[in-house]
Amino acid sequence: NSLRQPKPSVWVEVLATVLTTTCPLCFAGLILLFYLILYMFLAGMFSFCIYGLLLTLSPYTPTYRDRVSPPGVMIRPYLHGFTIAFNVSEPSTWTPYVNSMHHFLQAYDDNIQEEKNIECPAGQYFVQDGAESKEKKACQFKRSQLQNCSGIEDPTFGYSTGQPCILLKMNRIIGYRPGYGTPVSVNCAIQKGNESALKSVDFYPGNGTFDLMYYPYYGKLTHVNYTSPLVALHFTDVKKNDFVPIQCRLNGEGIVNNVTNDRFLGRIIFTLSIGM
Amino acid sequence: DDHQLSVEDLELKYQTNVTKVRGMNSTVAGEILLRDGPNELKPPKGTPEYVKFARQLAGGLQCLMWVAAAICLIAFGIQCGQGDLTSADNLYLAIALIAVVVVTGCFGYYQEFKSTNIIASFKNLVPQQATVIRDGDKFQINANQLVVGDLVEIKGGDRVPADIRIITAQGCKVDNSSLTGESEPQTRAPECTHESPLETRNIAFFSTMCLEGTATGIIVNTGDRTIIGRIASLASGVENEKTPIAIEIEHFVDIIAGLAIFFGGTFFIVAMVIGYPFLKAMVFFMAIVVAYVPEGLLATVTVCLSLTAKRLARKNCVVKNLEAVETLGSTSVICSDKTGTLTQNRMTVSHLWFDNQIHTADTTEDQSGQSFDQSSETWRALCKIVSLCNRAFFKSGQDNVPVPKRIVIGDASETALLKFSEITLGNVMEYRERYKKACEIPFNSTNKFQLSIHELEDPRDPRYLLVMKGAPERILERCATIMIKGQELPLDEQWKEAFQTAYMDLGGLGERVLGFCHLYLDPGQFPRGFAFDTEDMNFPTSGLCFAGLISMIDPPRATVPDAVMKCRTAGIRVIMVTGDHPITAKAIAASVGIISEGSETVEDIAARMRIPVEQVNKREARACVVNGGQLKDMETEELVEILKMHPEMVFARTSPQQKLIIVESCQKLGAIVAVTGDGVNDSPALKKADIGVAMGIAGSDAAKNAADMILLDDNFASIVTGVEQGRLIFDNLKKSIAYTLTKNIPELTPYLIYITVSVPLPLGCITILFIELCTDIFPSVSLAYEKAESDIMHLKPRNPRRDRLVNEALAVYSYFQIGAIQSFAGFTDYFTAMAQEGWFPLLCVGLRAQWENDHLQDLQDSYGQEWTFGQRLYQEYTCYTVFFISIEMCQISDVLIRKTRRLSVFQQGFFRNKILVIAIVFQLCLGCFLCYCPGMPNIFNFMPIRFQWWLVPLPYGILIFVYDEIRKLGVRRHPGSWWDKELYY
Repeated sequence: NSLRQPKPSVWVEVLATVLTTTCPLCFAGLILLFYLILYMFLAGMFSFCIYGLLLTLSPYTPTYRDRVSPPGVMIRPYLHGFTIAFNVSEPSTWTPYVNSMHHFLQAYDDNIQEEKNIECPAGQYFVQDGAESKEKKACQFKRSQLQNCSGIEDPTFGYSTGQPCILLKMNRIIGYRPGYGTPVSVNCAIQKGNESALKSVDFYPGNGTFDLMYYPYYGKLTHVNYTSPLVALHFTDVKKNDFVPIQCRLNGEGIVNNVTNDRFLGRIIFTLSIGM
Repeated sequence: DDHQLSVEDLELKYQTNVTKVRGMNSTVAGEILLRDGPNELKPPKGTPEYVKFARQLAGGLQCLMWVAAAICLIAFGIQCGQGDLTSADNLYLAIALIAVVVVTGCFGYYQEFKSTNIIASFKNLVPQQATVIRDGDKFQINANQLVVGDLVEIKGGDRVPADIRIITAQGCKVDNSSLTGESEPQTRAPECTHESPLETRNIAFFSTMCLEGTATGIIVNTGDRTIIGRIASLASGVENEKTPIAIEIEHFVDIIAGLAIFFGGTFFIVAMVIGYPFLKAMVFFMAIVVAYVPEGLLATVTVCLSLTAKRLARKNCVVKNLEAVETLGSTSVICSDKTGTLTQNRMTVSHLWFDNQIHTADTTEDQSGQSFDQSSETWRALCKIVSLCNRAFFKSGQDNVPVPKRIVIGDASETALLKFSEITLGNVMEYRERYKKACEIPFNSTNKFQLSIHELEDPRDPRYLLVMKGAPERILERCATIMIKGQELPLDEQWKEAFQTAYMDLGGLGERVLGFCHLYLDPGQFPRGFAFDTEDMNFPTSGLCFAGLISMIDPPRATVPDAVMKCRTAGIRVIMVTGDHPITAKAIAASVGIISEGSETVEDIAARMRIPVEQVNKREARACVVNGGQLKDMETEELVEILKMHPEMVFARTSPQQKLIIVESCQKLGAIVAVTGDGVNDSPALKKADIGVAMGIAGSDAAKNAADMILLDDNFASIVTGVEQGRLIFDNLKKSIAYTLTKNIPELTPYLIYITVSVPLPLGCITILFIELCTDIFPSVSLAYEKAESDIMHLKPRNPRRDRLVNEALAVYSYFQIGAIQSFAGFTDYFTAMAQEGWFPLLCVGLRAQWENDHLQDLQDSYGQEWTFGQRLYQEYTCYTVFFISIEMCQISDVLIRKTRRLSVFQQGFFRNKILVIAIVFQLCLGCFLCYCPGMPNIFNFMPIRFQWWLVPLPYGILIFVYDEIRKLGVRRHPGSWWDKELYY
């Protein structure tokens, strides 16, 4: 303490004495005021920084897309996990799946698609030039394209017969062109165990490919009516009364489907358990 | 009471035979040996090694970390039990925490172990031999085989093998300085001279040195029952005081642990109320504890202290107990032993009186001082007497050794005189050869003089020269003339008066005075070849010519007065506590400045004003000399009162217990007491002191064992260096801790925001551990190398109750100001990294539940892109990394501002502390390594981040620097203002 030279300027001394001795509340107030100013300044600086950050961001295209690509895969029906277990003879066990499918496919109803989206030439990317902020058109993906899995002829998606349909969806990435010109296809196999448990799978539409015309995606701000293309997996002959682990992979150039840390990157693993 | 018994009673008591010199029966001796155990001091009971290690693992912070680790393990166990095997994070964290505790524990244990080893190496392992008479025969046996009742012989140069009641003695003198602090050799004789066994002459004590003569005696005590043994056990009975730094750190750990548990508990409850599951809430609690506890702090403190200890070791201070480094810095009282600490522990000629004038001899250790005028005839005559009338001689083969260091056979005064004449005259041995000795009477206590008769150097001069020295008054009685400037003048009343004055003056200086005289014998009466008979004294022993007085003292070390002065300017009081006589003690105290010039004792004032001592106003006396006798009758309160009243204190003739009481009284006054000493008698006080400093060369093992610090060169001045280093390390630890504490807030706020606002977690527990234990360790240690901001040796010692290591201002400033800025920096960078990858700030709020749902593999970001859980996890790791980097960048700024607490960094200089610059560079390199080393993402959750994210926290770093400069400017400009009070730590 003797570090300090004992010659404070007079007014500071007077002020300090007045504040500390005669009015302890004033002193506390002074400290509070000090912190108020400090934190207001800090909050202001923080807001300014965030404001500056937001100014540099484009609302249409993310600055970086390295973390989100290559795409992940997701399935429907999705209730709470990746085990689809039901008993054919007990409708209550599979109705939730069926409802989930119907709900998901509402957006793909043929009339809705025809009304909102346009028909695009298949087999090529649907590149839309022009201003970034311009609204982008989306290509039709009709429910009927899913054929046996469309839920039109069989509103139970095969669940009532023990041949369930599962819809496969590739995650959306802005500007991503999957397959670099060749459509990405899907195949499914037993993840591990007896190969004979999964005898046949039908793929719709086509042979289980994502057509190029649905890409690239332009973001939710401009590509409002975009509906992700789907591939329906129709498990027509699966071993019953058993847990069958199935892995479905995307195949195509630029697709990564063998990372151990992320089992949903370019592939998906789920378990079918169909009771008769 | 054995010293008061007669020899016959002793024989009976101990079943031995003295009168016929047969000693004990060896079979009886064997039985007693079995009964009493070997004659050696039991080593102080050491703490078992595993207890020492366990202690290192069970400190306050460590316990908190054990709890955190346990919570992690429980959480992991419950997760396993629920069959959730997706994440082993909790297990890793538990392992990391346990590793941290164990590694820091090992480090501390190693430090302790190393210093213990240093001490062990001091011990002399050569077994001591003793000459014992048993069954009428003399044996040489190991001293530890001796038993009570054994008849032993000792001679000059031996260590006394046990407490011995002297039966016969011939000129036996012992050096009791290690036991009582008396620097003068003590005569041992068969007569009982005092009722106290410590004062009586017929007991020689275990482990003291026999300097000359021979003696036989009966062993009356062995091993731990000896006086030395009792003192040693007294020392071991004294509890070790907690070091101030230990108290500081405990105080600090209490605060931290309290706050950590408070915060953790609050958020645990908040989390439970919000509706998190119990397990999740537990994990939050654990995470907050991990974030809040400065894991690296103990390591930092230990490293800082050991660095200083190393620096001190280079200056010949070995620190046994690391924490003692700082204790020396907060010392406010030094109780110093005199002999061997303040003084050189060797008699040296200090003054001469001849030609009616007192001359001062050079008493410095290296003979660098001024010499006196040696041109007088009288000096030549005196010098001749000094050289010839002396039985001491140098051990042969020491021609290359400087004179003061040569080993001499002879008693202390003769040694002093021999060395003195060797230095002033040249080769004394050869000189003595030239003056052949015809006969000699050695000194004895009845004559109180020593004389010898020599042939003259010149063969043509047939005269004999008689030289004599002895107690001055006895010498004067025998003189008829006095030599003044080479002329022999009759010794009249006037000269006698002059002699008395000089004698009183020298005696008043606490010096031992000897008188010297000579006589050239008449060649007619004593021709060459005359048969001198020392029994009859057939030669004149009166009517001699007085040559002069020489006084000797154990002189203060050259560096001591300066060191004492420095202690004074540093506000440290130096108190002398010695076993020696009050007059000598006072004289030495005055010459080293413990009693400063112009200070008077009560007795001095009384003498000056010619009034009785009782009438003196005691408050006027700055100095005070208290001797052991007075101390014995004093109440503790009285002693405290005296210590308060007189700033300059000397305690003389004190016993080991009294030294202990003095130290306790000083501590009662609130002082932090350092005790320096070398003897066994000092060891209880050394242990009781807040810091005991033992002498490495002169010090006894007992003293070294009890001490916390050892001065290898026995130099009191090293203590001043120690004080300086101790103060510096206190200041620097403060800076270091301030630096370490700051980052706890930016480590904590992510969790608070995570729990309350439900953003994806910005900073992981493992990352926090990396900040605490990896990157930030080096800068915080480098602050230990920071130079002092001002002349710390001109400040008062810190007040241990007021000037805390971690005070409110430090914590508040670090936490709520700098820490807050760092938090903002971290969040800015976090939101930047999130937004640039597609997650806008507003979307992040409330996202936590979905973000952490590992079934949700297509979570949409602000642009409508869909993320898998794995992708989100890597994004989260990216956030951890940018938050980590933000803290690092701000911490670089932080370490720069922590260089000074008051001065501007520009005044202190950016690059003066090279270690700090290196540490910053190293910290940056470590940061880069963690970010960019392949494999890091999956092991330690670090992601390679974009370059611009390093730059985002920069404005905040600059803000920290500028803000702190403003703070320091305010503190310098307006001392005492509210700004100073709130912001100066």
